[in-house]
Amino acid sequence: MEKDRNSFIFRLLSTLFVILAINFFLPRMMPGDPFSTTSADEVGEEIIVMTEEQRLYYLNYYGLDRPLYEQFLVYMKNLMTGDLGRSIYYKMPVSDVIMLHLPWTVLIVVGATVISTISGVILGTLSAKNRKKGSDRIMMTGLIAFAEIPSFLLGLILLLVFSVYLRLFPLAGAVTPFADYNGPAEQAWDILYHAFLPIVTLSLSQLTGVYLLTRNTLITVTTKDYIRTARAKGLGEKTVWIRHALRNALLPVVTRTGFMIGIMMGGVVLVESVFSYPGIGMTLRSAVVGRDYPLIQGILLVIAVSILVCNLLVDKIYGKLDPRVGI
Amino acid sequence: MSLLKINDLKCHYLTDADTVRAVDGISFEIGEGEILGIVGESGSGKTTVALGIMGLLPENTAISGEILYRDELISSLPESEMDRFRWKDIAIVFQNSLEVMNPVMKVGVQVTEPMIRHLGFSPEKARSKCADLFRTVGLDPKWMDSYPHQLSGGMRQRVLLAMALSCDPKFLILDEVTSALDAFTRKEIRDLLVALQKKNGYTMLMISHDITFVSSVASRIAVMYSGRVVETGPVRDILVSPRHPYTRGLVHSTPDIFVYKDLWGIPGDVPAGDEFKGCPFSPRCTQKIDICKDATPVLMPIGGGREIACHRGGIAGLLEARNLSFSYRLPDGEYLRAVDNVSLEVREGEVLAVVGQTGSGKSTLAHILANVIKPECGEVLFMDGNAGGGSYGNKVNGIQIVFQDPFSSTSNRFTVLDAVKEPLYINKIGSNGDRLQMVKNALELVRLPTTDNFLSKYCGELSGGQRQRVALARAMVMEPKLLIADEITSALDVSTSANVLRLLKGLQNRRGFAMIYISHDLSLTLKIADRIAVMNSGKIVEMGNSHDVMLSPYDEYTKRLVGSRIGLCCHNH
Ligand SMILES: Nc1ncnc2c1ncn2[C@@H]1O[C@H](COP(=O)(O)OP(=O)(O)OP(=O)(O)O)[C@@H](O)[C@H]1O
Ligand code: SF4
Ligand SMILES: [Mg+2]
Repeated sequence: MEKDRNSFIFRLLSTLFVILAINFFLPRMMPGDPFSTTSADEVGEEIIVMTEEQRLYYLNYYGLDRPLYEQFLVYMKNLMTGDLGRSIYYKMPVSDVIMLHLPWTVLIVVGATVISTISGVILGTLSAKNRKKGSDRIMMTGLIAFAEIPSFLLGLILLLVFSVYLRLFPLAGAVTPFADYNGPAEQAWDILYHAFLPIVTLSLSQLTGVYLLTRNTLITVTTKDYIRTARAKGLGEKTVWIRHALRNALLPVVTRTGFMIGIMMGGVVLVESVFSYPGIGMTLRSAVVGRDYPLIQGILLVIAVSILVCNLLVDKIYGKLDPRVGI
Repeated sequence: MSLLKINDLKCHYLTDADTVRAVDGISFEIGEGEILGIVGESGSGKTTVALGIMGLLPENTAISGEILYRDELISSLPESEMDRFRWKDIAIVFQNSLEVMNPVMKVGVQVTEPMIRHLGFSPEKARSKCADLFRTVGLDPKWMDSYPHQLSGGMRQRVLLAMALSCDPKFLILDEVTSALDAFTRKEIRDLLVALQKKNGYTMLMISHDITFVSSVASRIAVMYSGRVVETGPVRDILVSPRHPYTRGLVHSTPDIFVYKDLWGIPGDVPAGDEFKGCPFSPRCTQKIDICKDATPVLMPIGGGREIACHRGGIAGLLEARNLSFSYRLPDGEYLRAVDNVSLEVREGEVLAVVGQTGSGKSTLAHILANVIKPECGEVLFMDGNAGGGSYGNKVNGIQIVFQDPFSSTSNRFTVLDAVKEPLYINKIGSNGDRLQMVKNALELVRLPTTDNFLSKYCGELSGGQRQRVALARAMVMEPKLLIADEITSALDVSTSANVLRLLKGLQNRRGFAMIYISHDLSLTLKIADRIAVMNSGKIVEMGNSHDVMLSPYDEYTKRLVGSRIGLCCHNH
């Protein structure tokens, strides 16, 4: 037991180290540096063209002219003290930048996870119950075809239809700028109003996966002996499906949710860009464009850690749901 | 009034590849409080019957026929209607497997569930009843909070039983409740079932391939084969004198019934074909006749509450000897009664052993039966014809005899080929080419080489064991219906004789001929015989099932014979 735990911690630490190293070296392998960018990303941003002298000065100021390994060591040392460094672009600590934008991303990722899981499970169950009937076929073909559309394209379509033409939803942002709320309810409403389309886009991109998994697992589960036993007991169709079949079929769905959050963390960069939603995805994008090394590192680290945490959580939850694992 | 009645039930699984006729027209009734057993090999459709009664067959099943519970037709009820009967009236203990209970639900919850639903119990009340049930089936109630995978097979079986009893059903179906258990637990569960049945008067349908287990509980059994019932009747009668060839095979391959005999399964496989017609047992039947492959026999009463489905009315007689006597004339002019008023019967496919001390007249009897010598009086009927006139030794499918002493039947100067071919030659069977092939087949049967080299060996060059096999091949080449083997192993050493005996029994089992096996060696005899006749001074003093004769001999002489063999007998039935 003790040994297991030690090896687990060792594995976790070495994974983290590898991630850190990649986070560090990858951005620096891109051409250019923070002070030679000429293109501005944000609309209306001034283009500051630096002289070579200024550039060298800044490189020296941020320690970017020192050998890579030295920079890496400094980075690691600062990390140990919880210091993620300073953003070159925002001119403030990376952790502050992240704290500013992370909540929005968490909101849409969690929202999308909940929505896609619930609707996927419901649709999957309906489909499995009507297996081989028309409604199952239609749902299955429709959703599989739907899954082929890339999420950013889907986002663009939704944006064009609902925001540009129908003007039902905002074009950008997470809140109405300079809004004055009468109480938290109104604020919450405003936040949801802005988050709605990004959440829908992300959910739709995950829906088919959950749907298919639920449907297929349920179909396998319903052929199991224990379902026959439940039927024999005359418990009624509803109990048999929900208490006995679904309960078992949800186990792989839970595992999948863990992976799903990882996948969505990647997808969120594009979706946030499409909706100009100020989460860390969009921040990451601008950090990459501006070669803001410390910020890139910080955001990638946050994403990696959140994926790790999700997987750990899923393992824990799975252990609770399935008495056969562990012990 | 019968509690459950089944009329011509058919359940055919329609799979993509073919149609499996798992249950193909069976009918039976179970009276209130009665225990009916269904036995049959794996795949004979037993579970399908159980699922059919419960209305749990998968969607791809074509079902026809009627199932009546208390005169109400339940076979065509929709799911929700069927739920009225499930568990409160009819409950089932499923064939045990890890997955028969929900793996993510505590077993206690799985037991209380139906009580809450059908009896309207509160969860607390259901739990306390569940604890009682656990105690009833011999489980500590603390296991209620375990998950199925935390229990052993025997414990799971008990939980399943508690679950089935939870709503006090009238009718209980038990599917292979003990097959996965060790002998000790099996006995415990059996006793528990018997006690519970006595106390609560359950009507039970007990399904198993274990005929011993079923017959220790049930009062009547139905033997299923390939989706049909081939024999039914009171348990004791079927065990003692099975009438269908399949039932006999089943009884004879059961170790608990034939304690001494080696296990020989019934050769062949259950026909799986969807287009099969005729008697399903015919591919394995040793006594089939032409009609068997065209028409399916139906279950017919044969008296004594028994029914059997066979065109020949069950196991047919093959040879019947009536009042045979024979005396030798001694040098001093006296007559010695070697065979004294002997009558016996050999049925199709059975092994009758004739045992007795040297000089008790066994070989003389063998010679009379094989029509080698003529009896003074009495007659031998073979396949309903008179063996004396019919010279059945000279015909294919007749009677063949193999003697004690291989040297007399296979002359030293004969080659193997000639020795085996001789009977074909004498009786003008087959062309020359055919004969060579027949000889080779026969040699293969007795596991001898068929190389030219071996064929041209002289019998004198062979070992005793080889020579006895050649003699056997010489008999087999005539494809006998009855083989008389007279002390064929007595001239061989222990290991060789064991080999020859195994070979012989294997041949008999596969080819399905009947055999009269004559020996003074009880131990060997018991390994292969279905019935034993004990001979003393020319008379048959005792005849019966080999285990009966062994375990409870009634004749003094037999007792001595049995006693002399095993010394202290450990069985006291
Ligand atoms: N769902 C199914 N689909 C197709 N064929 C099936 C199905 N269930 C059973 N069978 C076939 O039906 C036949 C009878 O099966 P069944 O389970 O009734 O046998 P059984 O007598 O209970 O055997 P066992 O002693 O092994 O439990 C077998 O040939 C089996 O392969
Ligand atoms: S004799 Fe015919 S009907 Fe009887 S069991 Fe044999 S094959 Fe079936
Ligand atoms: Mg079965």
